[in-house]
Amino acid sequence: MKKVQNPQVSLETKEIADRMVVFLAREIKDCQTVFHGVSSILPMVAIALARLTNAPNITYLNIPGGVDPTPSKLPSTTVGIQLMEGNRSFFSLSEIFDLSARGKLDLAFLSGAEIDSYGNVNLSFIGECEKPKIKFPGGAGSAMLLPTANRVVLWRTVHTKKTFPRHCSFITASGNVETIVTPLCIFKKTKGKLFLYSKHYGVDVNHLIKSTGFDIGNIDNCPDTIEPRSEELIALHKADPLGIRYREFD
Amino acid sequence: MESKVITLSDAVSLIEDGQTLALGGNSFSRMPSSFVREIARQKKRKLSLVKTAGGYDIDLLCFAEAVSEVIAGYVGFENVFGLCPSFRRSVESGIVKVREHACATVIAGLRASSFGIPSQPIAGLQGSDVPKMTGFEKTSDPYTGKEIFMIPSITPDWAIIHVPYADKYGNARIDGGVFEDILMTRASTQVILTTEQIQETSFFQENPAKTKIPSFLVKAVVQIEQGAFPMSCYPFYDLDEEVIKKYFIQSKSNNQLEEHLASLVNIDYGQKNS
Repeated sequence: MKKVQNPQVSLETKEIADRMVVFLAREIKDCQTVFHGVSSILPMVAIALARLTNAPNITYLNIPGGVDPTPSKLPSTTVGIQLMEGNRSFFSLSEIFDLSARGKLDLAFLSGAEIDSYGNVNLSFIGECEKPKIKFPGGAGSAMLLPTANRVVLWRTVHTKKTFPRHCSFITASGNVETIVTPLCIFKKTKGKLFLYSKHYGVDVNHLIKSTGFDIGNIDNCPDTIEPRSEELIALHKADPLGIRYREFD
Repeated sequence: MESKVITLSDAVSLIEDGQTLALGGNSFSRMPSSFVREIARQKKRKLSLVKTAGGYDIDLLCFAEAVSEVIAGYVGFENVFGLCPSFRRSVESGIVKVREHACATVIAGLRASSFGIPSQPIAGLQGSDVPKMTGFEKTSDPYTGKEIFMIPSITPDWAIIHVPYADKYGNARIDGGVFEDILMTRASTQVILTTEQIQETSFFQENPAKTKIPSFLVKAVVQIEQGAFPMSCYPFYDLDEEVIKKYFIQSKSNNQLEEHLASLVNIDYGQKNS
């Protein structure tokens, strides 16, 4: 039997990862064009899951450029050569940006080192730009894709006051963010501001408030996120039997 | 036609301190790793690096103190290892200046150069602090008045591209993801190829439409089997996580660069392990 890639990840973390992938997959609408970029393991798995469940007819676009790849196993990086398998055509990264520019990219998955109360993301740095205190990897496609993709779904595997501040210290990208999936909750954006859409089952309200750097509004009537259904979890294990999704958490 | 095949050492000797290099590949894929290591060995200095999404290549050159400026959309080791240690250290200490870009603005700058125009309009960037910081100006379209960002041309002195197949004259074919490599060969002043295999010219004549890099653009060809190692090179090999992990630790502790370079010298100089 093949070894699970990250056995050191705790059961609790596995549950969080599974939930996040399922919740991200639910954001994918069938028959749409969907893109994930570099360093995007959870969206990659979510797309694989959605293709087995709610969205079998999407057009799956990614950085290596193969359209609708059918990898025999998911790679541990989001530019893995396994994404070359099964492609019938090629559509390069620059063409994907052009597609988004002309309004034809339906959904882009992106993240941020910081995500603020307006759904802006910082992937650039904290501190002075000439000599930053912390240099993040850079925004990759986000500054171009957030304003041009029809919908953007963000995810962040760490939910703290630092990762969810009121204001980003630098705005790498801003735009059509619709949903944000975290280990604790789902935010949606309306009228330019984030609001708490649902909190995940079992998440302590005070913990959620304390972990968020901005006012999340009236929490009393906030519903729980619908837990992953058994058919979703079965499909998830089929989509990602090696547990590549846990690698974002180790 | 004369062969353009030269040694790795001679090819890297063509690079002068202070020049701008566009590096092919993307993230963990098909980067010119051997070439980059030889730059480090030859102790080049003050290079500017151009890439959409880099990682090992940019980090290693920062580790070797060869870099003064990085023009890129992303520099990291993905979720697998995280941020690039030497890149981070160099930027946070002010030694390396980052010209903050989006991948799409790097592409736009390269397109401007490829098209022979001073700048290239681009969709997006609204609401981002990147244009102000990096100096991307807005203009209004002369026909509609619509406001649009203009990205200045990026013309690297060299495009350094690792390919699976080339002939000795510099015709080359990339199977698998091409990323920005073809564009880089058009945008840059000169091109150096490193290649897994040297194929006969007939290989390219059989399917010229797949030869996206024509020889007339290419200055030099270096054959290096596993020249992208420890990164992947489709269709020949996947990345080597163990070697990357070891490098990551060396980079993080800011020592043992020489050991890292020495450990891969056999690959870079084509000497088989005996």
